[in-house]
Amino acid sequence: MSRNGPLALAFHGLFVTFMLAPIVVVCLVAFTPEGFLSLPTNGFSLRWFRAIADYPEFVHAFWVSLGLGALSSLVAVLVAVPAALALTRYPVPGRGALQALFLSPLMIPHVVLGVAFLRFFTALGLGGTFLALLAAHIVVVFPFAFRLTLAAASGLDPALERAAISLGAGGFTLFRRVTLPLILPGVVSGWALAFIQSFDDLTMTVFLAAPGTETLPVRMFLYIQDNIDPLVTSVSACVIAITMVFLVVLDRLYGLDRVLAGKGSH
Amino acid sequence: MTTPSRSTTPLLELDRVAKAFGSHVAVEDFSLAVAPGEFISFLGPSGCGKTTTLQMIAGFLAPSRGTIRLEGRDLTQVHPSKRGLGIVFQSYALFPHMTAAENVAFGLEMQRVSRSERTERVRAALAMVGLAGYEDRHPRRMSGGQQQRVALARALVIRPSVLLLDEPLSNLDAKLREEMQIELRQIQRNLGTTTILVTHDQGEALSLSDRIVVMSKGRIEQIGTPQDTYERPASAFAAQFLGKTNDFSARIEGASPARIVAGGWSAPAPVGMRGPVTLSVRPERIGFSEEGLPGRVAARIFQGNHWLFQCETECGPAIVVRPNDGLPQPGEGEAVRLAWRPEDMSLRAGAAA
Ligand SMILES: Nc1ncnc2c1ncn2[C@@H]1O[C@H](COP(=O)(O)OP(=O)(O)O)[C@@H](O)[C@H]1O
Ligand SMILES: [Mg+2]
Repeated sequence: MSRNGPLALAFHGLFVTFMLAPIVVVCLVAFTPEGFLSLPTNGFSLRWFRAIADYPEFVHAFWVSLGLGALSSLVAVLVAVPAALALTRYPVPGRGALQALFLSPLMIPHVVLGVAFLRFFTALGLGGTFLALLAAHIVVVFPFAFRLTLAAASGLDPALERAAISLGAGGFTLFRRVTLPLILPGVVSGWALAFIQSFDDLTMTVFLAAPGTETLPVRMFLYIQDNIDPLVTSVSACVIAITMVFLVVLDRLYGLDRVLAGKGSH
Repeated sequence: MTTPSRSTTPLLELDRVAKAFGSHVAVEDFSLAVAPGEFISFLGPSGCGKTTTLQMIAGFLAPSRGTIRLEGRDLTQVHPSKRGLGIVFQSYALFPHMTAAENVAFGLEMQRVSRSERTERVRAALAMVGLAGYEDRHPRRMSGGQQQRVALARALVIRPSVLLLDEPLSNLDAKLREEMQIELRQIQRNLGTTTILVTHDQGEALSLSDRIVVMSKGRIEQIGTPQDTYERPASAFAAQFLGKTNDFSARIEGASPARIVAGGWSAPAPVGMRGPVTLSVRPERIGFSEEGLPGRVAARIFQGNHWLFQCETECGPAIVVRPNDGLPQPGEGEAVRLAWRPEDMSLRAGAAA
């Protein structure tokens, strides 16, 4: 921090405040004993946390979101790794066009994607199913998994794989013992970002979800259309807590700086 | 290892190998037979095709033409993982997620060598390169020289039929490079491993090799022992690349007996050459004497154990190196005559450039 002048410090301070203030306020409101959105001035209460139990839809929606995030990010990574390796290793014809295609979901507004997928899956007779939701999520989270995996794969010194090959490694052994461990930081980062994107998406999902396949953001969105009480803040507080645990575990296992920067291991 | 005799069957043979990248020819008509135990250097400036040739031997590039044989067997269809060659890369290419011992053990694991034998061979290999006790270090916590040694141990522990080294010492500082050269030569001699070294450093090639392959623009300029290539360079390029040399414009004059004449210096001419020739002499093979090529000392530079003279002669500029033996030396501006023994020069047809 010593290199930063007072102006830069003030900027950083403001920035962090703007980022953190909503989260802090939401968490505080979750502990209010009142029946309306307010800061807990008359002591703390857990009544809105207990209230979650009376709305099993929230718990169900949480599991839908978790499953959807886990599955879509997993599929995205399983496709992204071979795609990125092929694109960085072989003179694939139309490499630029392929990369642009893989990244294109990033450039299409989610509202448009939502409408398009809705029409598409309805026409297929899959409207409102978990399968449709999963397919749509795979498409939108894939660019995140792909970009970070591609960065890791293209940053890999080709001499490392050649060294392994010259020592007798081939095929899957080469991948398992050398290539994968070396691009793993990028793969894990891509997977984490993809998961967060899926878990977080409302704009597209709200078009596709039906009763039974509502994700947590969709459920909360629908809830606040009819009710203005602190229940959504207590649900939010739970999600924030789970996210924190997730990040701490990731940091312990892996180092958060590496995951967020998507850097290689060397 | 003594200098291998030419009669032994070659271990590795390159037969008119060529490689083109699109329309760019990187290697052309490369033929070489490497005897068992031999230490060969590919020497040439950057971009002359050394790495490309090495990569073709290793199997990471397919030749556009020609064949490569190892122990008489055509390598073309053999996957690089099945060639059994040891390679040391310029960047070392140590696996960053493995310790020194794990790096060295990798090739043995691929060969399914038993755990106990593996441990023993890894320990011995690391000890051989002077890294006993470094088994559990990760490469990122080792110096460049230490990483270099691990890379060498990793390539040698699999007992490769040929060891390929691509500019292995170019990332080390001068002092360490010299130490590693000596060590590399000792290890190579002790194990008797046939070795091909790629380098652009003529000193390295001269001091390490049994034979040097001088390359320029994808072609072989000369193949010979270090002494051969230094003292009898086959081309202007080879002469210039292997240390300093003087090129004088001379003529073959008269007939039976013809003489080669460079100003006031002359000697019997070899048969078969006529007209203008270029005469090449190393600076340390020229002496000052009573007769010979007349010239003038333009500059005299003291360099500790020797003197360096820049002279002007009617056949072109000349550099002369004389040992600092305590005897009086000509001063700047003094008229001198340059002379050398006919066996110390090499001749090429055509005038000096
Ligand atoms: N993969 C490649 N594609 C195109 N040209 C290449 C490739 N590899 C090398 N070259 C070219 O071939 C020539 C020889 O390269 P290289 O063998 O690496 O030279 P050196 O190792 O002697 O410095 C150079 O002109 C280089 O630009
Ligand atoms: Mg090279």
